[in-house]
Amino acid sequence: MEKIAKYVLTALICSVALGQFVQVITRYILQVPVMGLDETMLYPTIWLYILGAVNASRENTHIRANVLEIFLKTPRQHAVLAVIGEIASLVVGLWLLIWAWDFTAYSWRVWRTSPTLYIPTFYADVALVLGLALMMVFTALHLITHIRDIRNGEFHHG
Amino acid sequence: KELKLSDVRPADATINKELAAFADDVKTGTNGDVTIKLFPSSELGNYTTVQQRVSVGAVDMAVQPAATDADRRMQISSFPYLAQNWAQAKAIYGPGGIIRDTMAELYQKQDITMLAAYPVYFGGIALNREAVSPGQPDVKKGIKVRVPGIKSFQLLGEALGYIPAPIPFSDAFTAVQTGVVDGVIGSGAEGYYASFRDVTKTYIPANTHFEVWYMIISNETLNALSPEDQSALKDAAKQFEATRWGVAQEDQGKNEQKLADAGASIVKLSDDQLAAMAKKVRAEVWPVILNDIGKDWGNGILKQAESAQGTN
Amino acid sequence: MVEVALLAVAALVILLTLGVPLPYCFGGALMVMYFVGDVIMKGNVLWGMQQLSNPVLLAIPLFVLAGTIMSESGIAASLLRFVNAFIGHVRGGLGVVAAVSCAVIGAISGSGLTGIAAIGPLLIPEMEKRGYPREYATALIANSSILGLLIPPSVTMIVYGWVTDTSILACFLSTLLPGLFIMFNFSVVNIFMSRKFPLILDDKPSFSELSGEVARRGIHAFPALLMPVIILGGIYGGVMTPTEAAAVSVIYAIPVGFLIYKGLRWSNFLEAGKEAATAVGAIMMMILFSMILSQMFVLESVPQQLVQAIFEITQDKTILLILINILLFFVGMVVNDVTAIILIAPLLLPLMQAIGVSPVQFAAIMGVNTAMGGVTPPYASILYLGARIGKVKVTKVIPPAMILIVTGYVPVVFLTSFWPGLSTWLPSVFGY
Ligand code: NA
Ligand code: NA
Repeated sequence: MEKIAKYVLTALICSVALGQFVQVITRYILQVPVMGLDETMLYPTIWLYILGAVNASRENTHIRANVLEIFLKTPRQHAVLAVIGEIASLVVGLWLLIWAWDFTAYSWRVWRTSPTLYIPTFYADVALVLGLALMMVFTALHLITHIRDIRNGEFHHG
Repeated sequence: KELKLSDVRPADATINKELAAFADDVKTGTNGDVTIKLFPSSELGNYTTVQQRVSVGAVDMAVQPAATDADRRMQISSFPYLAQNWAQAKAIYGPGGIIRDTMAELYQKQDITMLAAYPVYFGGIALNREAVSPGQPDVKKGIKVRVPGIKSFQLLGEALGYIPAPIPFSDAFTAVQTGVVDGVIGSGAEGYYASFRDVTKTYIPANTHFEVWYMIISNETLNALSPEDQSALKDAAKQFEATRWGVAQEDQGKNEQKLADAGASIVKLSDDQLAAMAKKVRAEVWPVILNDIGKDWGNGILKQAESAQGTN
Repeated sequence: MVEVALLAVAALVILLTLGVPLPYCFGGALMVMYFVGDVIMKGNVLWGMQQLSNPVLLAIPLFVLAGTIMSESGIAASLLRFVNAFIGHVRGGLGVVAAVSCAVIGAISGSGLTGIAAIGPLLIPEMEKRGYPREYATALIANSSILGLLIPPSVTMIVYGWVTDTSILACFLSTLLPGLFIMFNFSVVNIFMSRKFPLILDDKPSFSELSGEVARRGIHAFPALLMPVIILGGIYGGVMTPTEAAAVSVIYAIPVGFLIYKGLRWSNFLEAGKEAATAVGAIMMMILFSMILSQMFVLESVPQQLVQAIFEITQDKTILLILINILLFFVGMVVNDVTAIILIAPLLLPLMQAIGVSPVQFAAIMGVNTAMGGVTPPYASILYLGARIGKVKVTKVIPPAMILIVTGYVPVVFLTSFWPGLSTWLPSVFGY
């Protein structure tokens, strides 16, 4: 899983960089800008953002404020706080997932296309609903781990 | 009920004064049942996004160009050199005009009702340097111009002898200012004055295309209004459109003058030069776009447009 | 509607406090708007996704990746050694090296983390060896690291320019002088502080030794020093847009890191790609939902109502600016820089313009305040990263960090607020 994440994410971010780089070279040095290159970049860009976020859920490295954590003393308190946090994430995330589904259904129905190459934007749009669903799966897995820890009296950090 | 209306220009632009008058008309006409709240400066998103939001009923109304992402046939509205003077423009974009009616039909397929067409200007070319052979489309100018991400403008730029560079609108001003590109195609005097006046040294009124915006309303919003309110709204829109056709040409002249006052030199082209540009663009650009949007459908409409223009 | 907005903000703060990941904190605030405020949610995800696909934002992952590659490849280390050649031998010089190196690195990286990540592992042990307390060294480098957000290019200024429709190039320039000011403050404060430390100093090199060393390290650092020239020269010289410059810096850094400095290998290159993508994914998810929340505020005219409500209390420019800085300080304590800008900038910009603060000056005010948020506890991401890199307890780093914040940042916060020229002069020279 870790290996797949590394290759996929690095490939995505590099392809995005390469696309922009080609744009500069063709415009500034060759003086023949490539039409439509910018709109093809949309696809790796959106997938990069969404899969990056999925990986953050997998690694549990999303940005958090962790204000309370500083005041909590025992590992048990930390674990209970983590459980509350994951439950809140799940509730909100599932609600957002409904709206992501709504968006995907719209995108499927209207079948918008990009302005010059007419590539369907659906292939970028669908990333959101898939990504959020995966994020929910990982959040649920973290929740299960935390609950099991509290039951067994073992506490991990991070 | 308060309707949210989005438009693409800053709050102090002409259109927002005209829209304020429209809002007053609606309020009086509906005895205060319906009020309009303006969201200028694309606060609710760029016009492509807003059209989608109107389509699903999340934004009530908008006055803006037609977005072609959901239906590429909407490109028919912005065919370059389709109209070459104001009389021709009014014949096809004005009330009862073929393009206007076609667009109304296409909007309806997206659950949107078109209430009015809003003629803005004939497009031109703005440069941050002196012009090179401005009236001669066959001369390769070696000048890079920013074009919007719309196929017909990219082809138009090429056909007129420029090097079209697709740069997102958000980067466009900076790109012109720093010299990433030497100019812009795709807007007209009003648009250039609004967004590019500080970097425009030359303006060529080349009549590249006729810019028309449409006042659109979500069907969901419209159907929720009482029949009396609906007809009051439509009357106000009709008035809004009629007023605009009366002042649009004069407004274009004023905006060219404003650009000149801001320090741009205006390069006037002769009728022959304009005709040569139109001929080249029609021969090179039209077939490609027609191919994209459906030859038979497109040709049928263009024929009707030309015969309507001929009678003027 | 202001009441519902306040309720949404309350929900946001509660979720933040519970340590819920930021995207869901904004999602929770949206839920409140939807269920309590009866605001329509339909079409909002569509809007948010369209915002996210703006190419301007693409500069963020690319500048973050450029920064990650820098710290892995040895590019940053060579810059550090070059700066050190000038001032390393002066008493307190190593602390000045920390501040100046972070500023130089800031001219390549768009993030506030690169400085501490790239030179922390090298400089903290070195400073400790020379007699600086470890926690002080950590605090100093973490605080200086934030210059990455003030010296252009900068992720926060990209976001500010994007949400407020202000020229990103002007925003970049607006925080440059405040950033240099902070660098200067840190250098002066460091020289004072280091009087107390039992420092071990090298013998003062002769002029010829010194110039030889500067030349040697300069040649070695040359490919690295070329990076800011390419990025900033490329942007301001009219070769490329900021997004393209970010891409060029990545494409440049890869061969330089693999072949010249040789710190980059296949394994850490993949790791860098993954880390940058993950960091960016987390930022973008957060941007997506905070943008939707911000758009709901706009749809309900919250910013205008807020201006009215505040103007009923006071219209005094000085008082308002002080209040806004206090507000931003507290906001910076609990949320991250990009989020703070997305939520606060559209809300307060109308107010700022009403009291005659230009969007460019407000960019600098927001920029300096939100950058400082990275080192103000309880949520102080950059300080925490520093503590991890320096292997010291967070509680030990906070006191020296506080001294640096009060002496380094706070004066510049006030200068930026009350001296418009500090932030607007440079942009005006470039014609913005
Ligand atoms: Na920077
Ligand atoms: Na903070």
